[in-house]
Amino acid sequence: MDMTLNAFTLSILTGLQLGSIYVLIALGLTLIFGTLGVVNFAHGALYLIAIYLAVSINNAFGFTYALIIVPPLLFVIGVLLERGLIQRFYDRPHTDQILVTFGLAIVIQELLKWVFGANNIPFAIPGWGNGILFLHEYLPFLEGFVVYPKWRMILVAVSIVTVAAVFALLHLTRFGLVIRAGMRDAEMLQFLGVNINRRFMVVFGLGAMIAGIAGVFGGPVTQVSPEVGMGLLVPSFLVVVIGGMGSLGGAVLAGVLIGMAQSFTAPYINANTIIIYLITVVVLLVRPRGLLGSKGVFE
Amino acid sequence: MTDVKSEDTKKKTGWSRRDVLKATSAGAAAGATPMFFTQNAWAEEAIGNYPVKGSEVVLGFNVPQTGAYADEGADELRAYKLAVKHLNNGGGMLDTLKPSKLTGNGILGKKVTYVTGDTQTNADASRTSARRMIERDKVIMVTGGSSSGIAIAQQYLCNELGIIFMCGLTHSNDTTGKDKQRYGFRHFFNAHMTGKALSPVLSKEYGKDRRAFHLTADYSWGHTQQESMQEFTEKEGWSTAGNIMTPLKTTDFSSYLSQVLNSDADVLILNHYGANMVNSLTNAVNFGMRDMQKNGKNLEIVVPLYSRLMAKGAGSANIDGVLGTSGWNWALQDEGSQVFVKSFTDEYGFPPSQAAHTCYVQTLLYANACEMAGTFYPPEVIKALEDFKFTGAGNGETLYRGSDHQCIKDILVMQGKSPSARTSEFDYLKIVDQVDAATVDYDPAIFGGELGPYIPA
Repeated sequence: MDMTLNAFTLSILTGLQLGSIYVLIALGLTLIFGTLGVVNFAHGALYLIAIYLAVSINNAFGFTYALIIVPPLLFVIGVLLERGLIQRFYDRPHTDQILVTFGLAIVIQELLKWVFGANNIPFAIPGWGNGILFLHEYLPFLEGFVVYPKWRMILVAVSIVTVAAVFALLHLTRFGLVIRAGMRDAEMLQFLGVNINRRFMVVFGLGAMIAGIAGVFGGPVTQVSPEVGMGLLVPSFLVVVIGGMGSLGGAVLAGVLIGMAQSFTAPYINANTIIIYLITVVVLLVRPRGLLGSKGVFE
Repeated sequence: MTDVKSEDTKKKTGWSRRDVLKATSAGAAAGATPMFFTQNAWAEEAIGNYPVKGSEVVLGFNVPQTGAYADEGADELRAYKLAVKHLNNGGGMLDTLKPSKLTGNGILGKKVTYVTGDTQTNADASRTSARRMIERDKVIMVTGGSSSGIAIAQQYLCNELGIIFMCGLTHSNDTTGKDKQRYGFRHFFNAHMTGKALSPVLSKEYGKDRRAFHLTADYSWGHTQQESMQEFTEKEGWSTAGNIMTPLKTTDFSSYLSQVLNSDADVLILNHYGANMVNSLTNAVNFGMRDMQKNGKNLEIVVPLYSRLMAKGAGSANIDGVLGTSGWNWALQDEGSQVFVKSFTDEYGFPPSQAAHTCYVQTLLYANACEMAGTFYPPEVIKALEDFKFTGAGNGETLYRGSDHQCIKDILVMQGKSPSARTSEFDYLKIVDQVDAATVDYDPAIFGGELGPYIPA
């Protein structure tokens, strides 16, 4: 297939949009790993909870209610999860953490399937986000008729705003300063009299809340069925690994990279299937700590 | 003295030692005479779980209870349980299937029981589950599956172990084509028949000068569905702009849809099933493809294989007007369909899916074949099924073709209903055309494959 300028533009947009979902999920994943040192395999299941809540509220009361209710609710669920289960595993080996979070993910997935069924639940896009954008009207270099769904552009925008907000929180606030210090040396921070555990609880809640935002805006794109969480977990986890464990900037970079790679290999099934694994192998061979990873972390 | 005594003894009983020896030899010779000298007799060697011991016979229902096709699997299981109930107590299609030797008193006088397994829509899991049923639960027949990859995997295993496998929902040409097996039988229709039935309707609706782009699920069924659709639409004068294979676990099809948008195609054919189709169709609608014009014509979307459960998942606004095919629909008015819909609805409170229909019919057909053969001995049951012609099961006059174990029957061209045209929460599709068996019939030789021997090696 010849790569015309139109095709190139569409592939770039698709790559950005695919990357957006990965980034939103990977952001929570890497935030939790970076601060708590927990590899949270239940993160895909948090996204799953978010899309089921979002679709239920959206279909019953409308999108605005879903947007107002779901992310804070996910924050609460995240905090409860951290207090009730995850904190008991901070001092346990990584394998125990992986087993318990993975097990939790399966339990959540099967529970949701039990309640909602295995079939897809249609997630209607709100009127203001429905329809297509006529790209050729905005980008004069495109020839003829080039369109893209409006909602997917909104998803990219939401992703950018969320990333910016998280960066601002970590770099411009006192809370962020403590968290970043905790990421470096939690023990020293505790010696200085900071209740780091309470802040870590908030971070876990924050990670879950980002999954909530991803669910509200990503639900109509990824669709709502019980397989979605696990399907997104593997690429998102690889995004964290490629970007560098615990690195927010790395997660963003790797998310976009993976999205682009998947978009541009779409016509070729074999390449499309293996591309993210291939990138992971190459990156880890060349740079074991990941693209923007800190020295010594999972190297 | 001795001689006199011996003489006396012979007179008293009428038997001498020599007579006994002669009789024994004659008996041994008669016993050794091959049974084929006797009409309808068979060498009763043990095959699979034959002979069936005790007063009960066990059937194995191996369906996806978890995974992407779990809803379809749940409906299949409902149908199987209903079939068992009818086999043991009468009712349902036992009253309409003709010819039938089913009495409502089990199979060959044995009460029918069953075990269930979970295929997880995964070939390895389905094989493990089927093997457990065969080896531990001693099932005489296995049936189920809601994906061609899974059906083919089980069919090979069952054939090897001498257990008849009655396929559930499988639509790939390979199941009764290159992968056909003596011990495997399919009542459901296939991709080739879909192409044959659907393409003339498509060219009538959308014109002969069309250019199609295919998105295809990357496994056995998707591949054969794409080949068949391409073959028959090109026979109608259409051309093919491209085909992209999509991984089975894809949930976001935007990268593939971008390629379609960028091509000069004016028809999008989604060779996807289940959650795949729901996602690709919904994504295509989001891309504005239902309201778009290409080459001066409306861009059209086609879903070759339809089901009510998929239509529900995609939502009726998205499937409104979209054409495809189904094996059966609960709105059919023939006697067999009506009796099945009524008994299923009475039992469960909602009408059955096409997956439920094919699974129910398969169970009855197997039981009837045992009754016709007068035995559970698999080679005889297979022979009873081969070239069996029947009516009253919901698809008009049907032939279980002996040469490839494919049922040749009427199939349905369906169209999605608009939200306002729906009359109930189960009413998503309307029947556009019932294409008769003769039209969708084909030469089984085109797909190759060998059934293999009646007695497994």
